[in-house]
Amino acid sequence: MASSSCNSFSEPAIMEQIITEFFTKSVHIILESRSPYVSSRNYSGEQFISSPSPSSSSSSSSVRPRHQWFNLALGDCPAALENFDLWRQSNLEPLVIDVVLIRRPSRQHHVLQSPNSSRDQFSNWTSGQDEFLQDSKSEKIVERWIIQYESRSNGSVIRESCPGAKKSSGGNSQSSESSAMYKKTYKKSIIMLRSLYAMVKLLPAYKVFRDLNSSGQIRPLNLSHRISSFAEPFTREEEADMNQFGFTPVDTPCGRLTLSVSYLMKLDDIRSETSTPLPTQVIPDYVGSPTTDPLKRFHSLPSSLPAYASFSRRHSWSNDHGATPVSQSPSPTYSNACVFRANPNSRVPPHNHLRDNAPSACSVPNNASTVHRKNTSFDEYWPSPPFSPSTSPCPAMQFCNDHPQNALLRTESAPVNIPLPRHGKNYLQNQGLPPSPSKAKCVKPGCSPRVDIAKTHISTSSAAHTSSPEGKLQAKKELFRMGDMHTDIVLHKALSLGKDETGSLSGLKISSCTSPRLQFSRSSSRLSFLDEFDDSEFPCPFAVDEDIIDSCNRIEPLDRQGQTADYLETTGLVTARKSQDAAVSAIVKMLKNAPPLRPEPSRQLSSHVIKDETRTSSMERNSVAEVMANPNSSASVAGMTTSEFIRSRTVADAFEELRGFKERKDLLLRQIGSQISESPSKDP
Amino acid sequence: MNCEVCQLKELVVEPFEIREVLRCILHTIVFHRALGLVRPKDVDSELFEITYVQCGDAELEKKIEEKIDHFIGWVDKHPNRKSQVCLSFYEVKSKQPTWFSNKTERLHWEEWYVNLHVVNRKGNGKFRQNKAAVDHGENSVEERSSRRAVLETSLRDVLFQIIKFVNERKDHIPQVSNSEVISFPYEITIPSSSDSSFGWHTDMFKRMLQTGHPNMLS
Repeated sequence: MASSSCNSFSEPAIMEQIITEFFTKSVHIILESRSPYVSSRNYSGEQFISSPSPSSSSSSSSVRPRHQWFNLALGDCPAALENFDLWRQSNLEPLVIDVVLIRRPSRQHHVLQSPNSSRDQFSNWTSGQDEFLQDSKSEKIVERWIIQYESRSNGSVIRESCPGAKKSSGGNSQSSESSAMYKKTYKKSIIMLRSLYAMVKLLPAYKVFRDLNSSGQIRPLNLSHRISSFAEPFTREEEADMNQFGFTPVDTPCGRLTLSVSYLMKLDDIRSETSTPLPTQVIPDYVGSPTTDPLKRFHSLPSSLPAYASFSRRHSWSNDHGATPVSQSPSPTYSNACVFRANPNSRVPPHNHLRDNAPSACSVPNNASTVHRKNTSFDEYWPSPPFSPSTSPCPAMQFCNDHPQNALLRTESAPVNIPLPRHGKNYLQNQGLPPSPSKAKCVKPGCSPRVDIAKTHISTSSAAHTSSPEGKLQAKKELFRMGDMHTDIVLHKALSLGKDETGSLSGLKISSCTSPRLQFSRSSSRLSFLDEFDDSEFPCPFAVDEDIIDSCNRIEPLDRQGQTADYLETTGLVTARKSQDAAVSAIVKMLKNAPPLRPEPSRQLSSHVIKDETRTSSMERNSVAEVMANPNSSASVAGMTTSEFIRSRTVADAFEELRGFKERKDLLLRQIGSQISESPSKDP
Repeated sequence: MNCEVCQLKELVVEPFEIREVLRCILHTIVFHRALGLVRPKDVDSELFEITYVQCGDAELEKKIEEKIDHFIGWVDKHPNRKSQVCLSFYEVKSKQPTWFSNKTERLHWEEWYVNLHVVNRKGNGKFRQNKAAVDHGENSVEERSSRRAVLETSLRDVLFQIIKFVNERKDHIPQVSNSEVISFPYEITIPSSSDSSFGWHTDMFKRMLQTGHPNMLS
């Protein structure tokens, strides 16, 4: 049957493709659940660029999108793809995947580090841990998967064994039979891959993988894999420890597909080790570490687009844990556009995945080690045209740039792009913010640039996260309106005190707006994050906050020079109108200075403004009164606010303040409730 | 058409473990028989260190949960019993119409029997004679956790058994004639409807259906 059907088989090319895809899928399934990071081998990312759709990457001959083969839709697994591309040239050689458990020596070691120079030789290249393996013997093969196509005719490959393979035998009577044959083969392969999929999750190594993925911790253990075309035989002891499982082969017209696994059943010693938590590693990882601070990295970058690799998250449909997290590499050497891993420290929480939208991500130069893992739901965005290179200090900015159509950016209170006539700092220029003609009225030299920048951050961050839902947009608008109102009131008050006081007052005003605003903005951004990312694995919401804060910190020095005050002075009510911007900048400032709890004076001021303040101490009132009575330069005021008011505060103070802010917020909300129908931009 | 039958190894479970055990098993089976385009959903069991796969089909999930509810309801009334849950796949064939039969009939081509021995443990190791409770220590926590470990291992074995069976028996699977995720019609039967005197249990079953179960999750 076999040989006869072989000879008369009319479309063996299809069969061959099934076989090929079977290999791919198998590798994909296995690596997806065994490779805790994307290999840092030096695939350039061009693969992805040239194949923007996951379906077409390196499978130009595919009849259907690759991820749909065998009716098993998986996310992209670059490691599998790259491996497959190598294998593809190898004439259906067997694939042996060794899953290696690496016991890290006490010193830190980069498990995957070197691009393998001999990648053109398919046989026996590894996923990059060669050096490590030579370095240390503490690795153990815990699983060996063997995927094989066995031709029936004496080991010759399928093409030779099926002479009719390339000929079209034009509608003979057997064509239906053969089509039934490969339908059957296909169906059986589907089932086999299903059970492979289930199997991969059941084996003990999966637990290690999951543990590795589910925490950003440094582990003494790591998983890696080696792919080769032949299996180095196990030693007897090794073999004795191994369990075997052979999937029932799937017959093809000219041969059969076999899949088998040898695995260590007992990983008990490993488990105890892997469960050793090193919790302190987590937080420094995404806040303080220079390797993770996106701003620092952005700074050092040429005008390129480092962040997009991780911006493009993987789809989350299949794997909550079965995906490969993106790690950041502090060393550009081994990183590539889409795949980063050098420093195990910097493993990202597992929710960050490289995904099939990586294509857009990969127009990145090699030093794009700066993968920005704080990205949010890029799935929603990635269909938009490729990002244009820019070095934005804030990821939100990039959202903004790339989605200028985003409605939120056009809300009245959120002019995004303000040229900076005087401060013209590199930031914005480099960011290449598109001009916003609709906001021309705002684009005046008189506008406080800091304010604009800050607002840009805020609004873009919120915009980025609330792109489509109308409700949220509305909420944002209201929020900004609220900001408007508040600052308008404040400014009005300030300006009414006389022009020469404006400078100092503006300084005060900013801090005064800060605290109540902080609540709003923080909670709102949080909320929007949560809303948006509840389902979409938003990795670390506060990290984004951190971004905003940081980027705003950088901006802050701009107005330390008192220029804001100048602006306020010269623009008078025009500025008052823009005072929402100031408010936003105040938020930013507040975010930055949050821990010291300095809004005490600001609260005081606000109490002047909004007559509902209940909790101001007379001492503070006095101090603020002093400030008001003593119009100094804004610098001095700023100095005061930062030095004098940052006094040791207790937690109780903090809570008390918080309560005050809440009350104020409620009041504002009520006020807005009544005024919301009126024009928010009405001059006070 | 031959009907392949797979008797899964018996698991000794406590009532509160039934749900997770059945979820693991039923979803794993259906995943192997859902030949449509599936976006597999890995689910970590809430009780065990086991990750199983779901098809991501809401309707299926709902149905399985319902059946589990029914089964748990049945177990409440019949404690300390061995029982079976059967998941079967069938084809609907139109029959030649006769006077006294439907025009269609269900041709079962595969049946999976999940064998559960439900034990109600109260207090400290009352049922220690049970084979699952290998731990003879006095500490009930210890005993419990070791019993849990045993169950986890057995459950894992059952899942392997499923995979093995699925791999070995492929030829009986009928042709896929639709593009649904769940390619074949299936039914899940629980004891009340299958293994006892007809009238009484039908009645019970109906009542259970009507009342449902309060703690249906997800």
